[in-house]
Amino acid sequence: MTSSSWLPAQLTSMAHNVDLLFYIMLGIITFFFVVVEVLLITFLIRYRRTKRNQVGVNVHGNNVLETVWTLIPALILVFMGAYSVKYVYEAQNPPAKPLVIEVIGHEWFWEFKYPNGLDTHNDLRIPAGQNVLFDIHSADVIHGFYIPEARIQQDALPGRMTQFWVNVDTKDIGKQFQVPCDQFCGTGHPIMVGKLTVMSADDFNSWMQTELQKQQTKS
Amino acid sequence: MEAVLHAPRRSFVREWVLTVDHKKIGIMYGVTALFFFLIGGLFALLVRTDLLSYRGVFDAQSYNEFFTMHATVMVFLVIIPMLMGAFANYLVPLQVGARDMAFPRMNALSYWLYFVGGIIILLSMLYGMPDSGWTSYPPYSLTSQGPGMDFWVMAIHIVGLSSILGAINIIVTVHRMRAPGMTWNRLPLFVWSTLVTAYMQLFATPALAGAVTTLLLDRHFGTAFYDTSAGGDPMMYQHLFWFYSHPAVYIMIVPAFGIISEVIPVFARKPIFGYHAIAYSSVAIGFLGFFVWAHHMFVAGMQMSAGIPFMISSLVIAVPTSVKIFNWLATMWRGAVEYTVPMMFASLGFIGSFIIGGFSGVIVAAVPLDMHLHDTYFVVAHIHYVLFGGAVMCIMAGIHFWFPKLTGRMYNEKLGYLGFWLYFIGTQVTFFPMHLVGLAGMPRRIASYAPIFQTWNQVATIGSYILGLGTLVILYNLMVSAKYGRKVGHNPWHARTLEWTVSSPPPEHNFEEIPVVTENPYRPYTPEELTASRESA
Ligand code: HEM
Ligand SMILES: [Cu+2]
Ligand SMILES: [Cu+2]
Repeated sequence: MTSSSWLPAQLTSMAHNVDLLFYIMLGIITFFFVVVEVLLITFLIRYRRTKRNQVGVNVHGNNVLETVWTLIPALILVFMGAYSVKYVYEAQNPPAKPLVIEVIGHEWFWEFKYPNGLDTHNDLRIPAGQNVLFDIHSADVIHGFYIPEARIQQDALPGRMTQFWVNVDTKDIGKQFQVPCDQFCGTGHPIMVGKLTVMSADDFNSWMQTELQKQQTKS
Repeated sequence: MEAVLHAPRRSFVREWVLTVDHKKIGIMYGVTALFFFLIGGLFALLVRTDLLSYRGVFDAQSYNEFFTMHATVMVFLVIIPMLMGAFANYLVPLQVGARDMAFPRMNALSYWLYFVGGIIILLSMLYGMPDSGWTSYPPYSLTSQGPGMDFWVMAIHIVGLSSILGAINIIVTVHRMRAPGMTWNRLPLFVWSTLVTAYMQLFATPALAGAVTTLLLDRHFGTAFYDTSAGGDPMMYQHLFWFYSHPAVYIMIVPAFGIISEVIPVFARKPIFGYHAIAYSSVAIGFLGFFVWAHHMFVAGMQMSAGIPFMISSLVIAVPTSVKIFNWLATMWRGAVEYTVPMMFASLGFIGSFIIGGFSGVIVAAVPLDMHLHDTYFVVAHIHYVLFGGAVMCIMAGIHFWFPKLTGRMYNEKLGYLGFWLYFIGTQVTFFPMHLVGLAGMPRRIASYAPIFQTWNQVATIGSYILGLGTLVILYNLMVSAKYGRKVGHNPWHARTLEWTVSSPPPEHNFEEIPVVTENPYRPYTPEELTASRESA
């Protein structure tokens, strides 16, 4: 994690897109936030009770204003919604022929199963520049598989598979990130944190092979 | 006044325990809810104290029990009973011009059910506190050890029943017992908002009962609603739970909106701007509130695109909310705003803070952003800006506003302002930093966390101590002033809703003669009327 108080590093192009959406929405709401706070403070001060200002004017409403301040937020909000839709589909539809890693939540660690049969605990490695699809489920209670730097999470459920995919920028090769559990799952919930390492495709493949051999000779 | 003086002296048991008077029941609800507010607040301070260090000060099990108790107490034993038990009970019959609720004995039953439910929650502390969060998702909640969890289920049932009975009482009272001339267009906005809320309670609460009953059955009677190996599905619980609990978040704010609609016009000395817009937007919220529940489940195993309709409905529900904000602002425009304590809570306190929660709601309602922010501290910030910056600020506005009506005395103003500023500053210091760590990906419900988040967490903890201090100041002020405060007349604020036409406190059956209503209660006082009102007060 690179930031303690703002959006963390962007691992994928999807993270860039999500951040862009966030900044657009943040811009809009900040504008309205400032408008409302300024009006509030101004009215509080400008129209305070004084010796000469004892009673307000006798106005009961205004239909034009009502229509305006109903329609403008409605249009903006629906625009925000419509604008978000394409990101949803982008995140949902897995690309063709991805590398599939099985993610299994346990009380309290993450298990990762790689295509060659390698099986690790809390040690997630992914090749940069390749589409990686996570097949996520749980061996016991509900957990939450979350990669903040990819701006995405899905719950890990017993008896049901959830998925998401990432394609990590090659610029991040060699970097490490945390993979926290993001669904309350008991006393081990805070320490259920996996380690994500971004590797080059070659390094990843040789790592998978050597780790597998190590595991096989051990058992 | 006569009626009060001549009221027969009764023993405490007759006066309070056996009472069926809506005002007494309302006060009992209020006092009980404030007691639980202290308990819930204590748990909040324990939670925040744990987070002073990134390693955690307490062990994880205790931490989990603390946040579970905190949220359970605050939602089910503080905010809902305070708004729909205390405020609605005390005010609805008075404001519609009735002598009592439609079913006074059922009203007492609602209170005592709530009381028993609260006791059961307290008892659960002795038998292994519940530790599964106020949401209690299975399968985790099924594995929770000890009977604490079962106490929790039982308490939710009882409190839920209390809520349903209370809702029926309000609905019937508002529909059937309005004074002559109290047409829908003259109904005080607080009554409009409680009516909408009562309908939400009536239709939503049974889903919660279903959710927790199935938990209990799975825990003890071998059923498999949530056991996947036997074909059960934990997601069903989440649907049931949120089918109640999303409306419940509006149950916790719509009556609070009603309080604001009463307070602002009185102190701005202006008619409420857009009476109909405010009334109908409550109805719209009540209706739309039933169509957004799955926005709590965007990452819970639904197909991502299945979240789209819920995203749109959640964004749409922000519209009636913003309509209200604009109308309240317009009520202050060209008014004559008096900076009383209730007005400070309502304007700067509520409007100034709540909008932050509304805006963060819009952010998390967008599916792609919620994929990142769900279950992080960003959501915790959102919840607290709407519930603390929203509901609690309104409750404090309301308590100070109607305090002279309840007691016939005025609170101490200096202490009132001190309480307000501690609350206002405490809210921002506690909850704003949570947005920042949430954006950075700090998960919620964790007893220990990554060291980089420590600074902001310590800031938030300091803020929570400020809030704790503010709570003590406010409660001290109310307790002392109830006994020793300056005496005031029946209408110290020069307001027009019917409760201000009777003595403070009001006589046993409210109105000697049922009033005949001839106008909307938001016409401001003319200067001549003000002089007359001051003289009579
Ligand atoms: C502008 C209108 C609002 C919108 C669009 C909105 C949206 C949302 C969304 C999408 C979530 C789920 C976030 C997540 O868990 O990932 C959420 C959570 C929550 N909201 Fe709101 N909200 C709004 C207003 C309110 C109000 C008025 C209240 C209560 C007074 C409220 C109380 C809550 C609570 C308690 C939660 C968290 C529940 C939990 O997980 O424990 N919200 N809101
Ligand atoms: Cu977890
Ligand atoms: Cu909701």
